Amino acid sequence: MSSETPSSYNPEKGYIALLGWSLNAVEAAEDFDRRYVVVAPDWAEDYCKQHDIPYIKWNFERLNDRSMEIAQTLKEQGVDVAIPLFEETVEWAGAINSVLMDNPRLLGQSMLLRDKALMKRRAQLGGIRVGIFEEAHDKGDVIRFLKRVNQTLLKLDGDPNDPIHLKAFDKAGCLGHRVIRTPDEVDTIPDEEFPVLMESHLDGWEFAVEAWIHNGKIRFLNISEYVTLGYSVFVPASPELEKYRDQITQQIEKLIKTFDIEFGFIHPEYFVTSDGEMYFGEVAYRPPGFKVFELLERAYGFNAYQGMILAFDPKTTEQEITDFFPREVVDAKGHAGCFGVYPRLRVVSRLEIPEETENHPYYDFHDLNQPLEATVTKRTAFGTHWGLLYFFGDDALTMRDLLEHQESLDFYI
Amino acid sequence: MIESASNTGHSVAETSPHLIEQLEQAIDLLQQARDFIKPDKVSRLFDCCRRIMQQPGGCALIESYMQRIEQAGVFNNTDYAQPQILIPSLSAQALKSADANSVVMEALSNLRLLAVAKGVYKHQHVSAEQAHHHLTHVLAINLERLFSAADEAERTRQGKLGQLSRHLLQHLAERIGYEHIIEQLIDEIWRILQQRPIQLANIKQMVTQIAICQQSPDIDLGTSGQGADRLISSLYGPTQSCREDPGVDVYLERLATMDAAALQYEATGFARAMHDTGLVSPYHAVLLRYLVENSDHLLSEALGLSSTGRDCLLSFQELVHALIDKAVHPASAQAIYGLAMMLERSILYQPPLAPALWRQLSLPLSDFARQRLLTLFGDNPAPEIRLLEGVLCVLGQPLGVGQGNNPTCQSARAISMWAYQDPDYLLQLLVWAARDDEVIMHFEGQALSSKTLPSGVASELPMDLDPVSLILVPHLDRIYAEMGRRCAERESDPHRWVNPEFHGWWCGRGFDINVDVPTGKLVNLDAFLRRFYASYHPYYNGNQPLIHPQPAGVAITDSAMRFIGWHAISILRVALDQEQTMRVYFYNPNNDSGQHWGDDILVSTSGHGERFGEASLAFEQFASRLYIFHFDPLEPGELAAVPETELNTVMEKIYKSWGVNR
Repeated sequence: MSSETPSSYNPEKGYIALLGWSLNAVEAAEDFDRRYVVVAPDWAEDYCKQHDIPYIKWNFERLNDRSMEIAQTLKEQGVDVAIPLFEETVEWAGAINSVLMDNPRLLGQSMLLRDKALMKRRAQLGGIRVGIFEEAHDKGDVIRFLKRVNQTLLKLDGDPNDPIHLKAFDKAGCLGHRVIRTPDEVDTIPDEEFPVLMESHLDGWEFAVEAWIHNGKIRFLNISEYVTLGYSVFVPASPELEKYRDQITQQIEKLIKTFDIEFGFIHPEYFVTSDGEMYFGEVAYRPPGFKVFELLERAYGFNAYQGMILAFDPKTTEQEITDFFPREVVDAKGHAGCFGVYPRLRVVSRLEIPEETENHPYYDFHDLNQPLEATVTKRTAFGTHWGLLYFFGDDALTMRDLLEHQESLDFYI
Repeated sequence: MIESASNTGHSVAETSPHLIEQLEQAIDLLQQARDFIKPDKVSRLFDCCRRIMQQPGGCALIESYMQRIEQAGVFNNTDYAQPQILIPSLSAQALKSADANSVVMEALSNLRLLAVAKGVYKHQHVSAEQAHHHLTHVLAINLERLFSAADEAERTRQGKLGQLSRHLLQHLAERIGYEHIIEQLIDEIWRILQQRPIQLANIKQMVTQIAICQQSPDIDLGTSGQGADRLISSLYGPTQSCREDPGVDVYLERLATMDAAALQYEATGFARAMHDTGLVSPYHAVLLRYLVENSDHLLSEALGLSSTGRDCLLSFQELVHALIDKAVHPASAQAIYGLAMMLERSILYQPPLAPALWRQLSLPLSDFARQRLLTLFGDNPAPEIRLLEGVLCVLGQPLGVGQGNNPTCQSARAISMWAYQDPDYLLQLLVWAARDDEVIMHFEGQALSSKTLPSGVASELPMDLDPVSLILVPHLDRIYAEMGRRCAERESDPHRWVNPEFHGWWCGRGFDINVDVPTGKLVNLDAFLRRFYASYHPYYNGNQPLIHPQPAGVAITDSAMRFIGWHAISILRVALDQEQTMRVYFYNPNNDSGQHWGDDILVSTSGHGERFGEASLAFEQFASRLYIFHFDPLEPGELAAVPETELNTVMEKIYKSWGVNR
């Protein structure tokens, strides 16, 4: 469409490349005033042709000798900036943007943002509080770390261990996230998952932040409240969490400085402990999972992908970006939340939303499908929910209780 | 019903205004969405439509939105985008689907055609006439669904979605007009009435709908609906003196002016209509109450009793009068049929029965029991009366007990079996449940109290039941489930121990099952069938008729022979029918026993020597669906006499239906 109707975009503004395939992002770009092109693997080609979506074929693997090729192609086309949509395309965006903007530091920055261990070190160097962490290359490392962490906590033999968390270096969100409490559990980790990052468990309130950054300044800062990690999230956060907003803003500013971020979008995770101390968990340079963008649109009415395009585009003006974003919290029409459904029974035959859920005035809709298989695979790590339920309503506490309550219900029976 | 169709949309607006808001939003989102992302946004609209259509009046609401919904692009890139190519017969499959989106899509398409047929929506591909024609076919194809309650198969497959399909069909029928489907409807009503169910609310509603159609000047039934007269008159005007449905007060005045001959004429008229259909007119109640006061010698006529029933009536005159006085009112007229059939069964001659009924007459109800009755049946008549009506019906029509839309076939079977075999015990249980909210039964010497047990097979309290079941089932269900839990660790199937303890001493302690419980595979098939033949088939058991009803388990299959689930029934008798075929007559707690189990196994409910409420199958057909039965080990029968060829026929039927892959 864009290619045939050049008048639908503003030639004064930047030309955007979206790295990775996301229908919602394409829709947002299509409805916006910037020229854009989708850079995606070959399986998206037919679809793009069919629907007249501007498209360049590229298979994202590890950066390699041919990486320059795509950067050159985009540069020749006149693309101004590349926006990563998935964890796997973050370093590609860094590499491409360093060419497009003639700024080699951007590649280094993206590598930092891609590796959880490096990112934690960098944060530590910037004076940001992090938990204890270490890389593990085999199961022995994990057992040693588990023991050492618990010795540090002055646990006696026989006391239950504090758990530790294992995460892949370079995967998004909850993928590959495991919780280990005893040395026995270490045996359940497949060898091919190593190396991993190990972290001590922080007893606190975990939350995430979405921040749109332009000219080194925060333009919109959302706090996403997790009700239960891996299950549910809602925005804007409850007043209890929002009261930390100033502190959180300071933390994000520190983060921006430490990682030298001039523009774009970040999605960090933090813990706030009972004494009000903030601990940095990790940060991603791409849209969050769990449909937080959709929730933001429901709560505030702005399209978060279009916000991203503005934040990345070097031709965005100060006025434009200020006008685009609403005021945080006060402008929200309500709280939007979602809940990730995991089947609780071992054998399921069909999807049925419980009446109490469906009849709740906060219930919006769901994107669950009929079960394809009757037997449910046992859950080993986080991050494999079968779909989401969406809720919307005025009261944060009702929302929190409602989301929490969903954990005790069966959606597949 | 018909007049409400146009304004039922308001009910959703009143009960759930947020749903309408969400619907508007979902339509707008889809409308605005680019083509390529529409499939993504459709699911949100589907979910919203589903919730609305599951509510009463929801289909009317969606109908009024259909033009916008279609133009937003809901049917894009599907066959439904071209309604002119749609085939009505495919709708049955879609509406039965377990996939919510398939059901919703089909429902939306039909509602769209409805809007077109009504001339509200001018469609570019179909005319109003084509749409109307299409919908008539859809209704005809789904008639069974329209006029029957949900069965086990539907519940297992669809859950709450089944309700949506039903709402849709009812809405279509109301808007398209019953005249187009009325003939099939009448046949269907007669078929169900042949089984003499206790719960008649649905049937009465259907008969009323036909009556409304016939009377409405706006509906041209043409030549259809002739056969409905008997049904309508038996409810609204069985005799000359109430032919024009004058209202009960007017009718009472008329009675006062009648002489003995006229009263007798009335009495026989009502009795004939009642025994013809199983439906009782409210006028009948007026007459009966009048006769008790004024000419009780006509009671026997008015109840349509044979000499057996009349004997019983005369022996227990005072009790019968008391029962009529308390239980028979225009709003509880079915009590009359129950009473008549109870007298015919002569069970009052069992010593405990008459005193037990006296106790029932003055039974105080617990708050919980009263509330349950009020919730379902309202306050006219009072809950005590409603329960007494239910008691008479259960005792008169033990095979008329149905499980409603609940997974509680075992409890329904037990109630029916006790009413049939041990009515005194049933009344005792009912007193405990209705007065004390607690039923205690014993399992292998240990007392089980329904009060302290966790919930049973049904996760929610069942509601759509006859009054007696309504009170008893929650208790029985919990106890039955607990008995099962106590056997969970044992090898073999828990029914082996549960059935005799739960039902009564007459349930055979011998037990056979042809399914290996842990694997679900068929085992021991030959010996299983041979024993069944030798225990139950008169040719091989020494020509011994079955003495007591025996619980049994069948593997239910659908018309395509696919396995649906295990189901509890009881075997009542085995006998030759008029064509000299040996048949098993059994009780099926499903509301409609006339089911198609595939492979030409059509469960018969009349025409093959069945008594009211019995289902029957030829012996080998029945054997081919049986998986559990009880027997008396001391009466093994002549095992060796059962011919191999007969057993092979049965096994073949098993292997090609529910035995596939077992």
